[in-house]
Amino acid sequence: MMRWILLATMALVLGWPGDASADKVYKLRVDGLACPFCAYGVEKNLSKYEGVKDVEISVNEGVSRVTTEDDANFTEEVARKLIEDAGFTLRGFEILEAPK
Amino acid sequence: MAVVTAPAAAHGPLFSPAPETIWKGGTEITGGYHIERATGAGKEQQEHEPFLEFEYGLTADFQIDAEISYPFKEEDDASADGIGDVFLGAKYQFWKRDLPGAQYKAAGFLKVKFPTGDDDSEPRVGSGSTDVIGGLATGYEGRRWYWFASGVYRANTEGGGGLEKGDRQFLNVVGGVRPLLTEYGEPDTVLMLELNWEQADRDRLNGAELAGSGGWELFLSPVLWWTYRQVAIRAGVQIPIAHNLQGSQPVSDYRGLIEFVYHF
Repeated sequence: MMRWILLATMALVLGWPGDASADKVYKLRVDGLACPFCAYGVEKNLSKYEGVKDVEISVNEGVSRVTTEDDANFTEEVARKLIEDAGFTLRGFEILEAPK
Repeated sequence: MAVVTAPAAAHGPLFSPAPETIWKGGTEITGGYHIERATGAGKEQQEHEPFLEFEYGLTADFQIDAEISYPFKEEDDASADGIGDVFLGAKYQFWKRDLPGAQYKAAGFLKVKFPTGDDDSEPRVGSGSTDVIGGLATGYEGRRWYWFASGVYRANTEGGGGLEKGDRQFLNVVGGVRPLLTEYGEPDTVLMLELNWEQADRDRLNGAELAGSGGWELFLSPVLWWTYRQVAIRAGVQIPIAHNLQGSQPVSDYRGLIEFVYHF
């Protein structure tokens, strides 16, 4: 009994392994980003994709950080297409945070 | 105005075409005001022209656009105003090279001007002719520096009253700088300097060349861009620095242009 109470307490503190509300954060390295005004198309294209919750852009770093819902189908191929449709080139695709 | 204005999806020249195209599914609306004045040979010509331009990206490298204006024209003691000629066009960006923080690109474009403006008024609000404008533009856009170059040919046809304006050719080179490297979501300013050369063939009236027409003018054109997210204001002045106009005809004193741009 004590063991179940301990396990339940740990689960509450650490969170359930399958927590559906967790987000994923991706770092996209985008070539061609030269000005803030033209980067708006990147934000718009990424934002409209299903499951994308937030898009941050740094033109000085040439990077876009995309936060998605855990179950969003946001793959490198998807990101490449969205960036190309915005008029730029995807150079790097990296998962910064995944659900624990 | 459609001969010289460029879309603003990214920073480009104001008085000459740019190689930029708007993103796939993107729409850009530009409202602007153009003024110009020319005097000489006993004449005084002045034009004020508010206009509206729409652009839409069918793909990231192919866009279509339309422009309508409402010119107010004055020539000596006569004046006229009304809906101007409508332009419909398309642009294809056939080459692009993306680098970290920079883009090289090149595009070709074609526009058709339809005779929707009144060509019976004095002075004429529209030319009464259907004209075709085509050109090539290339350029570099970086975080700090810009350059562009373009060439345009305008083929004019015979309009109302048997008058055919001479074909025109345009060559442009542009340099630009962003003094402060601002971030996305911050107000951004870019300064540009354009050199615009315009050459006109002689006009024809019922097939006969008119003596007081044709020649070239060269303009130096400072341009200011200010943007914030998806909003831009750009303005500039064309200052004539040299000319060689044939016969006796008015010479440009100045041209000015301001545009308010919104894309979504």
